[in-house]
Amino acid sequence: MRNSLLLLLFLSGYASAHSWTPTYPVFKPSYMDKVLETEMLLFNKRKDVEYFEVMVTDEEFNKLPFVSTNRIYKASYLERVKVQIFIREEMLFKAMYICSRSRFLKQEIPTNMVSSRICSKIR
Amino acid sequence: MFRKLLVCAVFSASVAAENVPINGTVEGNCIVVPDTSGVYGNPSADVLSTAATDGGVLPVVRYDVVLADYYKAVITTPTSFSQSPGLADTVAWTGSAAVHEVSDAGMSAYDTNKIEYNATTEFDLTIAGSTWFEMESKAEYGGDKPFPGGNYTAMVEANCIAK
Repeated sequence: MRNSLLLLLFLSGYASAHSWTPTYPVFKPSYMDKVLETEMLLFNKRKDVEYFEVMVTDEEFNKLPFVSTNRIYKASYLERVKVQIFIREEMLFKAMYICSRSRFLKQEIPTNMVSSRICSKIR
Repeated sequence: MFRKLLVCAVFSASVAAENVPINGTVEGNCIVVPDTSGVYGNPSADVLSTAATDGGVLPVVRYDVVLADYYKAVITTPTSFSQSPGLADTVAWTGSAAVHEVSDAGMSAYDTNKIEYNATTEFDLTIAGSTWFEMESKAEYGGDKPFPGGNYTAMVEANCIAK
């Protein structure tokens, strides 16, 4: 009957995860004047996800400007990706978190999914 | 001759022996693991719900933290469909998150100390180990109208935020 309507799975049923380290990254001077840099490590243990968005946010999780090679990084299953983040020196007082969030391609949205986001706190 | 060979063998073995260091660092790390698939039941024409009494299945997410008191789990239940047929009316959403299973008895206090606002629930992960959280989600279509037929997908946001 109407139940045929649909039943939606929204979490994947097998063990999968992603990790984002270090927990407390520290920015240090870069080779550019008044620009700071730090390096994060993304480890993809999710078979259902290949793309991760990287963002720098303030305390309220509002996005702040930063520079990195990409905003969306591709990380295959069990792949480790080093992510370099650059911010302007004056931004350090506002910036509080560096986060990575799983992203799906529109045409590949699985019926069972969860969006995972891990945020490290800037020291 | 045999002695010469033996000395030679011992010598070559000692030269070949190397100490191979294995380095490791224990640092704060949070891993978010989708554990159980959630399913929306359709108990009446205008309701989709993950509650078991409504024919649904509660989704479960596991959080693994290596060190105590480094992270908090922030779980947001759906407030919109990421995929659905065209909906002409509004959908009213309710949801909640609760501790489902723990690897340490002390973690059962997470439920008592959780903070809830809007569709979000925060749990302070004060103990190292694994905690499983289950989420309940309910969508009611406006004006008691039936949901149009089709596939519906909504998404749980499982966040792990460093403290």
